[in-house]
Amino acid sequence: MIRTLFRVLGDRYARPVRRTVALMTAAAIVEGLSYALLVPVLRSLFGSSPHDAWPWLAVFAAAIAVCAVLRYISDLSGFRVGTTLLRGVYHRLGDHLARLPLGWYDTARVGEVSVLAGQGVLRALSVIAHLLAPLISACVTPLTTVAVMLALDWRLGLAALAAVPLVVLVHRWTGRATAAADEERAARDRDATDRVVEYLQAQPVLRAGGRTTERFHLLDASLQRVERSSRRSARAVVPGALGLTFTVQAVFTALLVLGAHLALGGQVGTAQVLTVLVLAARCADPLLSLGHLGGRLRGARAELARLETLLDTPPLPEPRRPVKPRRHDVEFDSVVFRRDGRTVLDGVSLTVPQGQRLAVVGPSGAGKTTLLHLLARFHDADSGAVRLGGADVRAVGTEELMSRIAVVFQDVYLFEGTIEENVRLGRPDATGSELRAAAAAARLDEVVDRLPGGWQTRVGEGGARLSGGERQRVSIARALLKDAPVVLLDEVTSALDPVNEAAVNEGIERLLRGRTVVMVAHRLSTVERADRVAFLDGGRIAEQGDHRELLARGGRYAAFWSDALTVASRP
Amino acid sequence: MTTTSATTPTQSSQSSQPSQSDQSAQSARPSVAGLLRPFGRSFAAVVALQVAGAVAGLAPLLAVAELGRTLLSPGPVDDGHVRTVVAAGAAGLLLHLLCTTASSGIGHLLDGRVQLALRRQLAARLGRVPIGWLARRRTGELAKVVGDDVGAVHPFIAHTPGELTSAFVVPLISLVYLCTVDWRLTLITLAPVILAVALVPLMLTPARQREERDRDAAMGRIADAAVEFVQGIAVVKTFGGAGRAHRAFRTATDEFTEVFHRFVRGLAGTAAAMQTLLSPPFVLLAVLTGGTALITGGGMPPADLLPFLLLGLGLTAPVAALGHGFDDMRAAHQALRRIRDVLAVPPLPQPARPAVPRGHRVELRGVRFGYEDGHEVLRGVDLVLEPGTITALVGPSGSGKSTLVRLLPRFFDPGHGSVLLGGADLRDLDSRELGRAVSFVFQDMRLLRASVAENIALAVPHAAPGDVERAARAAHIHDRILQLPRGYDTVLGEEAALSGGEAQRIALARALLADTPVLVLDEATAFADPRTELAVRRTLTSLGEDRTVLVIAHRLETARAADTVVVLRDGRIVERGTPDELLVEQGEFTALWQSGRAGEVRTGTTARAGRTARTTPRATTPGTTHGPARGEDDR
Repeated sequence: MIRTLFRVLGDRYARPVRRTVALMTAAAIVEGLSYALLVPVLRSLFGSSPHDAWPWLAVFAAAIAVCAVLRYISDLSGFRVGTTLLRGVYHRLGDHLARLPLGWYDTARVGEVSVLAGQGVLRALSVIAHLLAPLISACVTPLTTVAVMLALDWRLGLAALAAVPLVVLVHRWTGRATAAADEERAARDRDATDRVVEYLQAQPVLRAGGRTTERFHLLDASLQRVERSSRRSARAVVPGALGLTFTVQAVFTALLVLGAHLALGGQVGTAQVLTVLVLAARCADPLLSLGHLGGRLRGARAELARLETLLDTPPLPEPRRPVKPRRHDVEFDSVVFRRDGRTVLDGVSLTVPQGQRLAVVGPSGAGKTTLLHLLARFHDADSGAVRLGGADVRAVGTEELMSRIAVVFQDVYLFEGTIEENVRLGRPDATGSELRAAAAAARLDEVVDRLPGGWQTRVGEGGARLSGGERQRVSIARALLKDAPVVLLDEVTSALDPVNEAAVNEGIERLLRGRTVVMVAHRLSTVERADRVAFLDGGRIAEQGDHRELLARGGRYAAFWSDALTVASRP
Repeated sequence: MTTTSATTPTQSSQSSQPSQSDQSAQSARPSVAGLLRPFGRSFAAVVALQVAGAVAGLAPLLAVAELGRTLLSPGPVDDGHVRTVVAAGAAGLLLHLLCTTASSGIGHLLDGRVQLALRRQLAARLGRVPIGWLARRRTGELAKVVGDDVGAVHPFIAHTPGELTSAFVVPLISLVYLCTVDWRLTLITLAPVILAVALVPLMLTPARQREERDRDAAMGRIADAAVEFVQGIAVVKTFGGAGRAHRAFRTATDEFTEVFHRFVRGLAGTAAAMQTLLSPPFVLLAVLTGGTALITGGGMPPADLLPFLLLGLGLTAPVAALGHGFDDMRAAHQALRRIRDVLAVPPLPQPARPAVPRGHRVELRGVRFGYEDGHEVLRGVDLVLEPGTITALVGPSGSGKSTLVRLLPRFFDPGHGSVLLGGADLRDLDSRELGRAVSFVFQDMRLLRASVAENIALAVPHAAPGDVERAARAAHIHDRILQLPRGYDTVLGEEAALSGGEAQRIALARALLADTPVLVLDEATAFADPRTELAVRRTLTSLGEDRTVLVIAHRLETARAADTVVVLRDGRIVERGTPDELLVEQGEFTALWQSGRAGEVRTGTTARAGRTARTTPRATTPGTTHGPARGEDDR
């Protein structure tokens, strides 16, 4: 597990970790060795001169003091290393997340990753931090004690030593059995969680269907599967846990029998036999705690594995010598893009001359939004190329590319902060008047005037305190302030109320003016204002031309709109 | 959670009509014991077996002590006695194993059953709480209660009995036994434990507690920063500020590691002292020092020292267990509290004697409603929806349109006033009756991870495939369904995903199949694509003659197609009448559409032509022209 950590972090942290482990081991060895002092003490007490025990007791006390000091130092060192490691993991994770392609972040990922980056890392590392010392001491102290026993009497020592391979075997076996069961259980749990979320979100619909009282069978079935798999995992865990208890106790009993036998035969002194049995009893507890520690470590390991997978995801490759595009025309050159085994774009070629507008139209699932994503490098194309000003977007560095593009997407994400902070994101060094100008152009000024806190109104988590239309206006103001030569627009599909819609349309019109635009259009009015229209279907361009031309052609494009046009005109 | 639910309108309405709430609904916050009562016997068996096993587990240790006593006693050794002692020790071990196996096995099975029962209870309750209550909560939070929180009860059931037994019963028995051997040495053996307990206050000083709070707060900030970082990453990157949210995340983590380090350092000294006091060598040292003093003073036979060496160490177990299992227990306790909170939410009251609606005229009388106290969204709405008519609801955002339409399927109950269906208050109707009478298509319709056919037939589980298909055709989704990998049997969310507009059309098909006399529509997502827009509009024009329809209209053409238009502003109806009347009046309605069309003015000629074509008012009422078209694809 520690090796996994090093792989995740690099060797930078190896030395201090090794030092801590060495200190912990030393403390455990001293504890084990201190038990050797029981031999002379008990021999004196069970013998004829109990007074001889005093000096040995003093030595025992000294050994304990040494052990305590060692443990304290190793604890401190552990804390220091632990927090350094924690910081290292967080930094590494943060850097990596910032470099992953944006397309990698789909909805499911966002939830998963934010949990991992939040509590997951901490949970994994804190388990290691808390368990490392007990684990080392649970392994090393009994081993040292067994060595002491060997020195005391080789027969009894050997019998105790027999426990070592047995404990290791049982431990391995338990680990394997539980890992499989845990995995199944985790899968069932995930499924059940999905079902619960679905059940909750679909409540209105389920109730309308009169399914209030009757158990929702999809959820119930999934809950039952969880119960069955938990039963299976219990069956897998229980034998292992008991196997450990059994092994440890059986070896102890064997020692008891053997000790009694040897003592009766007079081969070993009574004091020695009793000392060995006391020492054996001392070994049992730490060994038994191994089972418990093992389970908790496995939990942390799963979390670490998730972390490792995440860190292994290749980040977006950055060019070594970035190219600076001189112009701002856009070109898609036989672009093919696949995702999850599906070809989303299948040989798309398009050009948008500088300063012109291209509207992409088509049925849902045609790959319209993907086109925008490829231009902004949310993903890279599988074959073909996307070019900005003649330069492949992959040859332009992300930073440079992003500085040329302004994006207005459907779901606007606002940061918890003030409206001003969110708009300023477009250009942090903008002056106050530039900010106001952008706001006015996006008709955000009306919103700002109406809100009690004005520019300093906090927008809430994800912008929740603003309405959809207001968020759109913030996003447009942001893009206006950025003043980038290329604009990518994914038009909102859901309707806004008339006031907001007018404001948004106006803002967008100002944003698009004079820039190179690629937009996914859903409304006729938007399409008509485009210089060119591409009708996308099934990842291919079915028709291309200007709006009138395409309508006149009477092909797929014309059919697409005619539905909407004809219905209402019928009496 | 309790404080918010106390102020909900649903509750206030419930308290005003206590006669309606059924008995089970009145259940107060269920106690932990109450939740676990059905499993009492199994639980008792787990504990009893654990106690028996733990006591048997002492046998081998006692055998060693007895062996020592026999061997150390002067005179010849009694071989037979030694054998008996060893055999008893071995037998104890076997019993110990049997009992703990059984206990642990039963415990884990019990755990699974308890979790299933709790989850079912939660699901049942969540299926009956007011929709409004659900709407105010984050789904993730509730899902966590049903999932993780119930899971967190696991140690409580599967491990705690065992751990508590070994932590308290075993030391207690040992203590009694040791007292009978030598009470003075027993006290000395207890000394380290008492010293360790005396150190506990040092860990709870105000400074330490402040550090703990700091740590928790810093941890919360990491979680927030992580969420914001990941969710906002697209914005951050596209605006070139890649460093910014990243920096916030970094700051949060750095801050946390610092606070954490301070917290741990502050505890380190005391923790190390406690650990040393409770460590086996230290306890042995105490026992041996006391023992040596007693033995050299001639106050105790040497053999009596053995039980203390073997059992004395176990006396530290309770303190260790307190520290060890404390976090788990606390987590389990908090989880249980959240579970109980959810189970304590009063379900939507069901009438004892349900009323039967006569007809399906819908009437809102003096309806007032607010999501929170002191802020009313609807402020006295009187409205009648006649059967066979379409009523369009228009108004600026925030005027209360969405809230108003949600009162019809009883997502919420009004705080004052009432909503009547066929003369009966919705609160007096059986919820199934209401479900049969009202269907709705809102924004964000959630599809189930089930087959397309199941999704459409949700309200009519035994619908014939032909009916399902007819509804799908009418909602213009049939062709799209055929394109899916397995047509109507395709499992949504697993084999195929649908776009928002397509989901909307599935919802529409669902509503059409349900064939309820009252239909509530939110036109909002009609822009998704022309096809959905078409489907919604065609549905409106083709509904049966006797249907009561309420639609939130976002487009003039929809409003103009209605029989009555109602303009809502700030929770009040400010205008009502036929579309033509209102357009002539030049009031709110006209103003609204003019401002709405401002953005369209620059539109090219074709669009305006299209618009004009679409805005041609329908000459007749909906029922008379398109009655039979419903349920058929008339393309």
